[in-house]
Amino acid sequence: MDLDFSRAEQDFRAEVRDWLAAHVPAPLPSLDTPEGFAAHRAWEAELAAARLSVVSWPAAYGGRDASLIDWLIFEEEYWAAGAPARVGQNGIFLLAPTLMAFGTEEQRRTWLPRMARADDVWAQAWSEPEAGSDLAALTSRAVRADGGWRLYGHKTWSSRASYASHGFGLFRTSGARHRGLTYLMFPMDEVTVRPIAQLDGLPGFAELFFDGVLVPDSMVIGEVGDGWRIAMAATSSERGLTLRSPGRFLATADRLVALARDADPVLADRAVRCWTDAEAYRLHTFGTARRLMAGEEAGPATSMGKVFWSELDLRMHTLAVELLGDRAGETPWLDGFLFSLAGPIYAGTNEIQRTIIAERVLGLPR
Amino acid sequence: MNFAFTPDQLALAQTVRDVLAAHCPPRALRTGRLPAWDRLAEVGFFGLLVPPEADGLGLGLTDALPALEETGRACLPGPVVETAVAAPYLLPGLPKLASGEIRVAVLPPGAAFAPDADLADLVVVARPGGARLVSRDSVRLTPRPGADPCRPLFDVAYTGSTPLERPLEPALLRATVATAAQLIGVARRLLELSVEYARTRRQFGAPIGSFQAVKHLLADVAIAVSFAAPLVHRAAVSADAQERDAPEPGGGDTAWRDARTAKAAAGEAAVLAARSALQTHGAIGYTEELDLRFWLARAWSLSAAYGGAAEHRAAVRAPVLAGDTRRYP
Repeated sequence: MDLDFSRAEQDFRAEVRDWLAAHVPAPLPSLDTPEGFAAHRAWEAELAAARLSVVSWPAAYGGRDASLIDWLIFEEEYWAAGAPARVGQNGIFLLAPTLMAFGTEEQRRTWLPRMARADDVWAQAWSEPEAGSDLAALTSRAVRADGGWRLYGHKTWSSRASYASHGFGLFRTSGARHRGLTYLMFPMDEVTVRPIAQLDGLPGFAELFFDGVLVPDSMVIGEVGDGWRIAMAATSSERGLTLRSPGRFLATADRLVALARDADPVLADRAVRCWTDAEAYRLHTFGTARRLMAGEEAGPATSMGKVFWSELDLRMHTLAVELLGDRAGETPWLDGFLFSLAGPIYAGTNEIQRTIIAERVLGLPR
Repeated sequence: MNFAFTPDQLALAQTVRDVLAAHCPPRALRTGRLPAWDRLAEVGFFGLLVPPEADGLGLGLTDALPALEETGRACLPGPVVETAVAAPYLLPGLPKLASGEIRVAVLPPGAAFAPDADLADLVVVARPGGARLVSRDSVRLTPRPGADPCRPLFDVAYTGSTPLERPLEPALLRATVATAAQLIGVARRLLELSVEYARTRRQFGAPIGSFQAVKHLLADVAIAVSFAAPLVHRAAVSADAQERDAPEPGGGDTAWRDARTAKAAAGEAAVLAARSALQTHGAIGYTEELDLRFWLARAWSLSAAYGGAAEHRAAVRAPVLAGDTRRYP
């Protein structure tokens, strides 16, 4: 057991740090505005040109074949540098791992390089009005048609859908609760999108209405009827590592400690506790990464990470807003606070995660 | 970078686990003061950190950490951390330490009483101006009441003592981390006992572990333990690095920062595990008769040993706020 980064890992960290120092722009407008969305796409293209947008992907798709440890190093440097939010993250961190594991080589070659440059920006389409935590209750359908599938139904809380070019999600191809679901990609052109303003007033998610949108067979990922298993594999990687790496929480914790430097001891204690908890998440993740690199599965234990980081993020931003008082709105902390409130809800609510931990990690009865 | 224990480190822990499973079962906690100690001595447990010149293996704290966690998991009584971890740094040349024939108790700075001093051949007593070494012949012990029946406390008076030549700090640092490792073991065992009980105890026609209120209670324990353990592992790595790279200025402070963080998190996780275990068991857990009581008491006694969570968090606060937010490298 050690925490000694190799020469190559240190060199990679230095390269990333230097590049970011030279290229990170002044804060961009929110990516949930038209001009902010465009600016964030341009930033993704710049990252991709330096082959830094998806370092852990194979070189053939725009990555560097970097190890998970290298990817964690990249993330630490990225967030420490105050670099922009990742407009392509639903695609990069959710769809891409799914395509790597379950897609065809043709699908990977078609979609991944474009995703790496943010030529396409992907929205997720999981939830429906009557299928939230109980996702398998979804009723949107994919119906066999000449040359592919026609999509019908109503999705909601679809992150990034207000501006995205493409979407992906689960559609019902038969009545069987889990085995009747199929994983599909679709272009947004013919989908009716109704943006939904979030707590910050901006349309960070949207409703999607499908009225017979035709998608070819090449947009099906994996086998028809295998969508549930594929999606669950993807969400387990989402919870575990790829959606929220430690880097962003380490950066937030460092800023929080700086903010609390002159605070009274009770508030300062909360800040330092957050800082050590962010360290705990970092170290825990190094252990998980090592197991994944040794070929083991992350499995349901990744649910523990999702609960831990989302509640840590909420504690950090709550404290920052408390420290700043009326001035919070003049800083990025207020938007961060609003965003952190969503953490315990998205990617599987923390109640669902705790039930998964109890049943599948601890072995308590269903 | 490989933040995972090596096969050797895990094999050592498995050996200790097997010895304790055979020779320190729960019933032994009611009958003996030193169950399994002779067997642990046979497998070399007490010489792990002792230098080779004194017949030990000269291993680092990290190497011994999973084995120390096992001693917590089994609720092993006796001055384990003091003899196996602190003594090799305080008395590195002491004969018969590696063989387990000598036991050492410690009265740490700020503590009122020395745990397990009745079993000790030597008592190290922290005093302003330097620690003192007191032998069994010149010590007078008075039992004091405490929470842990297997970790009795003693007021220490003595008629004669010698100054301790070695500094106390490095030994305290390692004892703090080792105690944190034991707390992780205690917490893991408490969680296992809670899960076992929740799977079998039935109410309303169903195992109580099928109810979400119980599930979420125990899920929170699993989370607390899972995220405390890596802090403890890192603290051991930091302690070993401090020994290896002693010249680095300020390196010692980082080792203490990491040790204090680990002890606080492990203590809080164990106390949460104890509280949740008791709640899961209900009234039967509140009895002297059920073995659960030993692990509850160990969580309480060790969470206070070598400084409680609040004390350590307070001590970490100033350096972190002052900018000691260094990570690795």
